[in-house]
Order: sequence, then structure tokens, then C-alpha cells
Amino acid sequence: MDINIYLLAGLILAVLIILHLTLRLIHVRQQLSFIKEALEDLKNGNLNRRVLAGENDLTKQICYDINDIAISNQLRLIQQRQAEQAYKRLMTSLSHDVKTPLASLVGYLEAIENGLVTGTERDEYIHVAADKANRLKDFVTALFEWVKLDAGEQIFHFEIFDINELSRNIIAEWIPLLESAGLHYEIEIPEQECAVRIDPNAYTRIINNLLQNIIIHSEADHMTLCIAEDAQRAKITVSDNGKGISPDDLPHIFERMYQCDHSRFAKGSGLGLSIARELVSAHKGKITAASTPGTETSFTVLLPKAL
Amino acid sequence: MNDFVIEAKQLTKIYGKQKAVNCVNLHVRKGRVYGLLGRNGAGKTTIMKLILGLTSVTSGEVAVFGQNIRGREKRVFPRIGAIIETPGFYPNLTGTENLEIFAKLRGTAAPGAVKNALEIVGLPCKDKKLFGKYSLGMKQRLGIANAILHDPELLILDEPTNGLDPIGIAEVRDFIKRLSSEQGKTILISSHILSEIALLADDIGIIDCGVLLEESSMNELKKRNSKYILLQVSDVPKTSLILEREFHTKDYSVQDEHTLRIYDTSLNMGEINKFLVMQNITVTSSGLCNDTLEDYFKKITGGEGIA
Repeated sequence: MDINIYLLAGLILAVLIILHLTLRLIHVRQQLSFIKEALEDLKNGNLNRRVLAGENDLTKQICYDINDIAISNQLRLIQQRQAEQAYKRLMTSLSHDVKTPLASLVGYLEAIENGLVTGTERDEYIHVAADKANRLKDFVTALFEWVKLDAGEQIFHFEIFDINELSRNIIAEWIPLLESAGLHYEIEIPEQECAVRIDPNAYTRIINNLLQNIIIHSEADHMTLCIAEDAQRAKITVSDNGKGISPDDLPHIFERMYQCDHSRFAKGSGLGLSIARELVSAHKGKITAASTPGTETSFTVLLPKAL
Repeated sequence: MNDFVIEAKQLTKIYGKQKAVNCVNLHVRKGRVYGLLGRNGAGKTTIMKLILGLTSVTSGEVAVFGQNIRGREKRVFPRIGAIIETPGFYPNLTGTENLEIFAKLRGTAAPGAVKNALEIVGLPCKDKKLFGKYSLGMKQRLGIANAILHDPELLILDEPTNGLDPIGIAEVRDFIKRLSSEQGKTILISSHILSEIALLADDIGIIDCGVLLEESSMNELKKRNSKYILLQVSDVPKTSLILEREFHTKDYSVQDEHTLRIYDTSLNMGEINKFLVMQNITVTSSGLCNDTLEDYFKKITGGEGIA
């Protein structure tokens, strides 16, 4: 009698276990079919496909690993595509940036050649044409510099310099230019030495580009250059009181070829700030911009000090 | 294989006697942000519900991932993340607990999914605050976190910026943009704010009174809506000379051998034409393009505009 009860209990238990395992098996099979479907999709190039797994699923780790692979592949693919697009955009804007000044240059030269202008007007035409040709040359130079930087082919010669001394020398050359542009200036460079490991040519280029930017674009009548340091970094701030940069434009100003107005070649090359950023990052530094239009616009370069 | 993640054909929904959605043909392409723009009550939410199969279709059909969703919910829903109107959360649990429930129900694509999702929308993880005590903005953020919890391929977001403050709106816009550009997600988003959609969408669908009035890419729209004078002439260099000498503008660009764009729209087009013809330059066409997006939407929705 007793034995029968035990047998019955054992049987019920066995049936329950079998039932449980069967259900589990069905669940796993279903999961596998989901995984198979997802893999098929991934194979066809849909790298956004994910396989979802519950907390206690046997297949959890497999699912997570599949997702991981898909995500990293997707990331690589997107980066590649973005680089391609950026390159294409660059080529398009480049061809426009060359076409416009070239067309007007040809216009001036034709007028001279065909004798449409004479005397002082002719001289003026030649002057304007030469000016345009020079601007084109500068643009092409800036472009090559940028391409070199972008491709990582620029070779830097880093040495330890007193950044204050170096900046004083750079700014001294700018003073006549600032004055002829009608800019009041204020320069605060500390007397004591501040040693920074830099490539002096690159540093000069950074400061030149920032100052040039003010003269060409800001319409300001006052500018300041100020150098300060803390324990780790030297901080160079160039600011002006010009028309400023709108919040919409601000995030993009360091992108190559970004200019706030459409008639891009009217002034500048659209490469200056982009080059400055590349150079600063080659120094393991940082460049940022802040602007309150009409009040103050400032560019800040942070460079790590030599310790 | 076609590239549409969502494709609606002649989609119609009738509530009682009212046609809420009328013969809509909608195409959401893979990896793009599709903005559905319309006034309150235009039928945006209904379209989203029809896509998700949350309400029955009166006539027409809608395919998600190339197939009808009916009967395949279990396979398709894990690939979609959505917020439609207010999401249903338990008011007596915290945000984290709420998401953990959904994570358990749906399964996850990677470990730490809840923490990740909260981080992306900027809500604290393991916070003690109950959902019932959340502000509207926080509720909305939690809704978005829930939508992206399982890393879906397709996001359907119905007015995701409702109830957010301006900074919150910018944050949400930012991460939607990132989801699209960095992860290649397909996103369908609805809004009644033109500027919002203009900043975010790659493609745009304008809906009014249940009818999809226009569907096109944002680039196409922007091209149609920038402000410039388009000139087609026989001699570009001569024309550019005339523009610079006689009309004193450098605000133009050369598009190709015969086409110029003048961005200074204050110039008198008639005068320019007259002058060019007098100089023996043939003007094939000239026209002023100065519709703004806003004007365009007003035109297309029958004068009332979308605000």
C-alpha cells in the first residue's frame, strides 16, 4: 500500500519534471528560431537587428555576444560612411570655392585684355585681379596644409618654449595690421616664464588664424589677447566685441569649410579655425569658442604645460 | 529588397463618420529620421497607431520591415520601440523599477540595459523617487528610456518633446540625432512644431486633416526654400565682373559654367538683367527663390500654417 503511494508520487514528480523540461525545450527552440531569423537578417546587412534575451534564458550570453558583434560592425560601417560623405562634401564645396573667384578673375583679365578699360581704371582692374589671384593662392595653400594635417602627414618639431615670450613676438608683428584694421587692442601677457612643449611654427599659425579671424569676420573695434596659467595648463584667450557667432553656428565653426554666410569665398577660406583645431589637438590641447553676439566672442586655447 | 522600414499604401481609418486618416501613402526609409508634421488632430497619432497595429485599419495596408504586422506581433514588436501618447507606468514604483519590469517582460539586448537607457535620457539610476511624483518632463524622459530599452531598430516617437523645457527639448533632439547618425536607427517622429522637425528630420511628411499633403526629403525642401537669385547666362566671368563692378556685390557663387547664385536678394533683378543684355550677355533665365520653409508650409496646408 505504502509502496504504491510512493510510486504514484514518484510518477507524478517524474511527469512534472518531464513537463517542465519539455516547456523549457520548447522555449529554447523558439529562442533559437528567433536567433536564426536575426542572424539571417544580420547576414543580409541589417546590422541594427538585435536578439533579445530574458534574465534566465539559457541563450542569454549567445544573444548578447551576437548583439555586441552587430553593434561594433555597425559602428565601423557608419564611421566609414561618414568619412566618405564628409570627403564628398569637401570636394563639392571646394569646387565652388575655386570656381567663384576664378570666374571673376577671368572676368577682370578679359576686360583688360580686350581693352575695355584704360588708364587708371585699367590699373585698378589689374590690382583687383592680382589681389584675387593672391587670395586663390592663399586658399590653395591653406587647403594643402589642411589636407596634410588631416592625413596626419604634418611633421611637428616639439620643443620647450616660453609661451609668453613667443606670444609677445607673434603679437608684435600683428600690431601694425591691427592698427590699420582700426582695432583697439589690449594685451595681457605675464612677465614670468611659462614653459610649454610646442612646435613654434604651429603655435604661430594658431594665433595667426585666430587673429585673422577677428580681422576678417568679426567687425569688431576692440580685441584682447590674454595669457594665464594654472598648475597644468597655459590658457590663451583671444576675444573681441564684434558681431559674434549665433548659437546655431557655434557648434560647427571648427568644421572644415563651415562659414556662417553663404558667399563663402567673399572673405577667408573657411579653413582657418579647422586648421587651428587640428594644430591644437596635435599639441594635446583644446580649443573652445563662446559667443554673446554683439558683446563678446572669445576663443580659448588650452595647452598642457611642460612639467 | 526595398529600403522601406515602414510602407503604408492607401492607409485609411474611419472613426464613425470621420475620416481620421485618408488614403495615406507613407514611406519611411531605413536609417533615416522621418518627421511627421501636422497640427493637433491632423491624424499623426492615428497613423502611428495604425502602423503598430494598435487600432484596426479600415482600408489600405501598412507593412513594417516589409511585412504586415498582424499575427507576427511577437516577432516584430521586439524590433520596435515606441511611445504613443502617455506611456503606462506604475505610479507606486520608481523609474528604475518600472524599467526593470519592462526589461524582464521584453528581454534585453545587452547587460545593464536599464542603466544605459536611463543614462541616455538623463535620468538618475536607482533613484528613490516614485513615478507618480515625476514631473511631466521626467515622465516623458522615462517613456523614451522605455522605448530605447531593448535597442530597437525602429523608433516610433509621438511628440517626444511634449512637456519638456527648452533645454530638455534640445537634449532630446540631440540624442535622437545621435541615435540616427551614430547607430543608424530608423526613427519616425511626429510633431506640430515646424522648427523642431526642420532641425531633426531627413525626410518629412506633412499631414493635414488626415491627408498626407507632401512627402519629400529635407534637403529637397531646403533647396527649394533658400533665398537667392538664380541667373543663367552665356558668360559667367563677364557676369561676375559686372556684379562686382556695377552692382558692388561679392555675395554670389558660381554653380557651373552657366549658372550663378546671388545671395544678396536686395539687388534689383530687372536692373541686372538689363545691364547684362546691354553688355551682350545672353540671360537664359533668372529668377528669385525666396520662399521660407514657413511660407511653404502655409501654402501647402492652405494658408493657416503650422505653429
